[in-house]
Amino acid sequence: MYTPFDINEAIGHRKDFVEAGLRSGSPVVGIQCDEGMLLVTIRRSQRKVYEIYDRQMFSAIGRQSDIENVRLSAIQTAHQEGFERSPDDVSLHRLVGFALSPALKKAFGDQMYVPVVIRALFAELGRTPSGDCFFALNYDGEYRQYTGVAAIAGSQRAEDKMLEALGQPEQKLSRDEAIRRALKGWVAGARDQISIASDDERDLDSPLRMVDEVDADRVFLEDELKFGALEVGFLQRRDKQDARFHLLNGDVLDKVISDLY
Amino acid sequence: MLSPTDAAGSLWKLLEQSGHPFTREFGAVRPADSHVGAGSVETHGTTVIAVKFKDGVIAVGDRRATANFAVMYDKADKVLAIDDTTLLAISGSFARAMDVVKYLRTSFKLFERTYLQPMSLEGKLTELARVVKAGIPDALQGIGGFIPILATFDRESNEGRIFFYDGMGARFESTEFGAAGSGSMQIRGVFDYIVKTVKPFHQMTRDEALTQALLLLDIAADLDAATGGWAKIMPLARTITVNGIEEVPEETLKTIIEQLDRSISR
Repeated sequence: MYTPFDINEAIGHRKDFVEAGLRSGSPVVGIQCDEGMLLVTIRRSQRKVYEIYDRQMFSAIGRQSDIENVRLSAIQTAHQEGFERSPDDVSLHRLVGFALSPALKKAFGDQMYVPVVIRALFAELGRTPSGDCFFALNYDGEYRQYTGVAAIAGSQRAEDKMLEALGQPEQKLSRDEAIRRALKGWVAGARDQISIASDDERDLDSPLRMVDEVDADRVFLEDELKFGALEVGFLQRRDKQDARFHLLNGDVLDKVISDLY
Repeated sequence: MLSPTDAAGSLWKLLEQSGHPFTREFGAVRPADSHVGAGSVETHGTTVIAVKFKDGVIAVGDRRATANFAVMYDKADKVLAIDDTTLLAISGSFARAMDVVKYLRTSFKLFERTYLQPMSLEGKLTELARVVKAGIPDALQGIGGFIPILATFDRESNEGRIFFYDGMGARFESTEFGAAGSGSMQIRGVFDYIVKTVKPFHQMTRDEALTQALLLLDIAADLDAATGGWAKIMPLARTITVNGIEEVPEETLKTIIEQLDRSISR
């Protein structure tokens, strides 16, 4: 028989297990700009930003198979809803709040299954800029809504640092300016995660060991881009067609990075 | 909820699992066992035409939708974009056709978003055959019969292509033209006459092909009581080329129709 103490303990263990799996995930930044919305990250191997539906996109950190399951569930639910009712009825509020969150909460609480290792960031393009929103969904089913800027990372502290670096949201940012700002947010999160992991990012292997703090972000990003690739999902406003999602290509992004620091 | 893989990427399987009536199987038992005489309640799209031209395909439809002898609607859009490279011209049951259009739009997107690559042309043609076939039990009872023409631009062979279907879901590719709907049988021979005496459609400019297509629509309207033609309301024409789908502006249609009006002897 379970006592309240056992339940607490069991949930604590599951939480530790999941958090350990998330800790080193490459953070994701969500940011609004005048032309639409962006999800910005640096990926190592797998693609990370995906289209969900006409006005929704998604990125996540965690275990690849879990990310894939949540992605497919979101896509299926959205398309079924869009077909049976109307594409206008597909919203993140319903998708995250009524489909994904309860399923994740159930999976997290069920002692018979390995917990789902995921922290996801969804973006939805509104009919007008004031309707744009982000949803960050956690492995235990908890979710938070953001407007303007949003961040997910391997730890709460890294997320806080990212939001701090991203600053106040501005609807009038151009797309490229927004990507640059997002990258600065990403660096803040990624550096924080590394410092937690190694306790000292200025160890012998670190490219930062000889660098002044002012240059540290640039050197860190350059180093990350040697092994990873910048990936930017773009939900475009003012596009005549239904499908507004683009994955920005390398040429556009190279130019953005070259003007960064 | 979080183990979605058994129906991944297939709208058909998703709808089947949820018991949606769209996917009832061929031969399914129906409450009514005989002809229900639904012609009086069902709205039908009439004639649609697709012809090639040198940059792609042009599809034209009159705007009429009828139920028996009544004109139900004279602003019907029967040439519809399914995605950036696929046009569907529809004839027959309007209700079924609209469901099918919605199904195909959703299904193609679902596939692409799931598998991160667009559905192949062959895959799209098979999806369309499947939904035509699924309508057979209804069609046998006199409702829901619908015949599509699919026009697409094939980026691999760099040409426009036209496919038409019969009521069983058999698919045929046409080298020059396709037509469906109530007026299509009456004008079938005229297509061949144009190819043999004027020139093959695929060698025509857009406006040449458009002129012939509008002339064909006019003949269909003369010979078929249900087809609206262009005497009262402008038809709708869309082209599909390497640049995607475009609607032919009403002004262009007007100019061509005025020229035709002057040259046709009535």
